Amino acid sequence: MKETLKLTFILTIICLIAGALLAGVDILTREPITQVKQKLHQKSLDEVLPPHDNSPVSDSVNVTHGGQDWTFYIARNQGQFAGAAVETVSPDGYSGEVRLMFGIGADGKSIGISILAQKETPGLGANIDTPGFKNRFVGLDLQKTNWKVKKDGGDIDHITAATISSRAVVDAISNALEAFNAHRQTIENGK
Amino acid sequence: MRFYKELVKGLWAQNPIFRLVLGMCPTLAVTTSLANAIGMGVAVTFVLACSNMVISAIRNIVPSKVRIPCYVVVIATFVTLVDRVMNGFAPDLHASLGLFIPLIVVNCIILGRAEGFAARNTVLLSAADGVGMGLGFTLALSIIGTCRELLGAGTLTLWKDVPLIEHIPGFTPIALMILAPGGFIALGSILALMNNLQATLAKRAGKTIPPPVHLDCRHCVICKWGQ
Repeated sequence: MKETLKLTFILTIICLIAGALLAGVDILTREPITQVKQKLHQKSLDEVLPPHDNSPVSDSVNVTHGGQDWTFYIARNQGQFAGAAVETVSPDGYSGEVRLMFGIGADGKSIGISILAQKETPGLGANIDTPGFKNRFVGLDLQKTNWKVKKDGGDIDHITAATISSRAVVDAISNALEAFNAHRQTIENGK
Repeated sequence: MRFYKELVKGLWAQNPIFRLVLGMCPTLAVTTSLANAIGMGVAVTFVLACSNMVISAIRNIVPSKVRIPCYVVVIATFVTLVDRVMNGFAPDLHASLGLFIPLIVVNCIILGRAEGFAARNTVLLSAADGVGMGLGFTLALSIIGTCRELLGAGTLTLWKDVPLIEHIPGFTPIALMILAPGGFIALGSILALMNNLQATLAKRAGKTIPPPVHLDCRHCVICKWGQ
């Protein structure tokens, strides 16, 4: 009985110290981590939005489509709709989710993509996050393009030996496009 | 002198990968490229040195019956600490390493060194052991990573934007080598090569080949501690 108490006591003390230490680190790092996340978000927005003079983060529109919530970040030039960016995700990557930012121009063409998070195989699927692949999504006509990989009869050239990863990217885009097409008026008018 | 000995033993004589054959899971998982291997190695070295020192410092307070939970708490604390600090203050490094950091908790080299060394030695020697083992781990991962990246992707990248070899002319990469089977093939071949080399060297010097200490049942500390 006495031994049990002693063991419990020591383990509790060690856990308390560890807990206190982690709480301290959390307080110290919470602020910088939030800033880093915002910076990354901002960077990917800059990559896929056309030149604008407003603040897309505060000028955003929330719509619901297909049981999902979508946030469109709107770019404007002197109040005129210039384009929109949307964060979209496909759960069907080779190993987990593929999360990306997709940019749509006012001229009905795609501006580009920026990969936010992916866990694909390094050297194969992870090549979706290389300029060579991302550039395939620049300047495509939103309506005329068949948003499928070539293997599935579409227009998008997939990466050799990484069809699943490429398909996940294209799926994420085509979902986002559906939401955009369904709510186009709301998005262009803004708030 | 003893300090120096503990420091260098991890590099070759008791290399955690090639001689102790510990930590196979991260070894196979992250060695798809040289940059990954180095990053994982550095993170492990830091956690290993810190946890070794703390565990050595508390070795006389912790009762043997609850030592494993205590070690796990110490190790998990350091891993979380590294993860948070890196995320906040070195976001670029975290972006490429973030995936592997949680893997360190289950890396058995860390618990193995805590149990096998830090729990019975002074803080200074434990630090030397931790750093040495960590560097040995980094070296071994780099060797495997170099082979796999060269053969599997045809490139060699030291760090994100520092390519050593960008493209080998006339060479078609063997994609198998960066997939899971390639990990086993590379590790097995290098292990065999290392053993052969060590045996040849020992023979030439007229010595018997030493078995890896921790694979030898007579020296196994874990059984003895349980009694």
